[in-house]
Amino acid sequence: MSIQQMTSHLSRVGVIMHHSFTQLVRMKVFYFLAFFAVILIASNFFNLPQHEGPEVAGAHVLTSIKSWSLGAMTLFSVVLSIVATALLLPKDVEDRTLYTILAKPVPRIDYLAGKLLGVMSLVFVSLLIMDVLMVAILQLRMNLVLDTQVALAVASGWPAADVENLKKEIISQGPTLSLQGAVFAVFLRSMVIASFALMISTFSTSTLFTTIVSFLIYFIGHFQADARMIYMNQAFGSDDGWLSQSIGLLVALVLPDFQIFNVIDAVVQGKLMPLAVMAELAGMGLFYFGFYLFASWFIFAEKEF
Amino acid sequence: MTQGKRYWVLAGAILLMGAVRMSFEEGLTQELREVKLLPPKLEIETGEKLGQTFSAVSLGGLRTLVATFFNLRAQIFFEQQKWADVAETYDLIVDLAPCTRYYWDTGTWHLAYNAASHYLYESDLPPLRRKALWKNYIVAGRDFLERGIRNNPDDAQLLERMGSLMADPNKIKAFGEPGDAFQASCDAYHAAVATGNSRSYTIRAALYSLVRVPGKEVESLELLKKIRSKQKVSQPSIMALHYALEYQRDPNQDVLDLVDRVFTNRRGAYQILSRQWMRGQDRFPMHGVARAIGLLEVELGVSEEKSVLKQPLPTPVDPDDYFRRR
Repeated sequence: MSIQQMTSHLSRVGVIMHHSFTQLVRMKVFYFLAFFAVILIASNFFNLPQHEGPEVAGAHVLTSIKSWSLGAMTLFSVVLSIVATALLLPKDVEDRTLYTILAKPVPRIDYLAGKLLGVMSLVFVSLLIMDVLMVAILQLRMNLVLDTQVALAVASGWPAADVENLKKEIISQGPTLSLQGAVFAVFLRSMVIASFALMISTFSTSTLFTTIVSFLIYFIGHFQADARMIYMNQAFGSDDGWLSQSIGLLVALVLPDFQIFNVIDAVVQGKLMPLAVMAELAGMGLFYFGFYLFASWFIFAEKEF
Repeated sequence: MTQGKRYWVLAGAILLMGAVRMSFEEGLTQELREVKLLPPKLEIETGEKLGQTFSAVSLGGLRTLVATFFNLRAQIFFEQQKWADVAETYDLIVDLAPCTRYYWDTGTWHLAYNAASHYLYESDLPPLRRKALWKNYIVAGRDFLERGIRNNPDDAQLLERMGSLMADPNKIKAFGEPGDAFQASCDAYHAAVATGNSRSYTIRAALYSLVRVPGKEVESLELLKKIRSKQKVSQPSIMALHYALEYQRDPNQDVLDLVDRVFTNRRGAYQILSRQWMRGQDRFPMHGVARAIGLLEVELGVSEEKSVLKQPLPTPVDPDDYFRRR
């Protein structure tokens, strides 16, 4: 493929992506950001029952802010990815936009890629705004906790090394690179589920069907690793029946593994996420995205309307 | 190619793609488990466990949030003194958030301290039943904390909590032989120090436990000297222990000479050793303490009737006293 052809493809994808993004924005999906802000503010006042000494007072609120924010991001991104993608093709058919586009020399892969990237842009922008809000609140709250606890530790005569450890621990619960990695994992997961929903929608007859199947796949996909384990244990001499093994193999082969993106929970609890892990997750996410997009095109290429 | 054939080709491609990615995904899952970014492999044994693990896995990204709500539920059970429900809820909470120290710590506190104290002081059950439940909840708290430590072996504060629990004078009877409990406490404190994240008092806490293990006087003295060489120690209890352990090493040495070597002055030595003498119920070694107090009282002109050696010692904590009262 020449550079000119490539540029032409990218340009078409860009136009469709922009149109799709605008279309979704006009559906007032950004209103949920107001809910997110409320959730974020509420998490600030959510104090867990405290039984330890005053030297740890307030530290738990940092975990609380992270778990509420990332939980909300997960919910919003998954729902948005599935519902918005499920709406894409039926809405274009209903508005007859699809016929206008396909009547022009627009390759169907460009149309699908543009539409999907439009949804992903919306999810990306939403996550970006939520991330900025989360980091701002977390930073403010962490500074408050840090000031209070360090002052208390110094007043109690803690040795300098202990005060330093205390500072490190509080800072590790604040906005870190690993936390950004967790937000990235949320985005990757929505990328996978959106591309899967697009594939379903290419042969589905209704939005409702696409939405329900995608949500089911999303939940079952969290057990794909366990299905794979059942199959692999059999290979190493476990006494599970052939039926369990067959079901395990089928689930492992057909469904995407959503459990690998569950690193979010460990990051909320203060675990570090190495850059190599982020890169591997990104690779896996892009692999799924590319495959499902290609599979969608394969079904959609000769489909008649 | 007809649309029907396309579906068959797609099905084949999906299976092929699944086969290609299977080993990579398995490797990535193992890697994520090793760096503790994913929880360990599921052990599905019973229907109940399946229910818990289902929630833990399928709530990917929401687990810590759901754990927060279950923690509130546990708080309500605590206020209602429904201890079995508290225990069950904390089992679920730590399934959801196994790396959050707060939940392990709070769960242990509810079981080993609150539930056990309820059966010690408040319950209307018959004494034998109360005693059994008191012991069961303390042991359950310890077991819960041990699980927490197994899940978070680098968490110094959980290990410190274990050290504190095992040496708690109000709980020690539940653990069987006190010497073994103090040894377990010392081991936990040492493990906390080995993580490199412990606080400076932790090594001293290890010493306080070790000196109460029968037959560990030599190791205790070595540890004490190591602490005094590394930290500027001004705690009276450390000085008192130093004296007792040095005396035990050689009971024939000159007592006042030993006092001069360990303490900064004799009046201060008398005050520290007197306080130590009154803490007899805490099982600290008292080798040569009475002898030093006697000599110092003569030197400082303390009258015989005011002698600390004549004062009644506080009664040692014995949970059986509470069980006998009702």
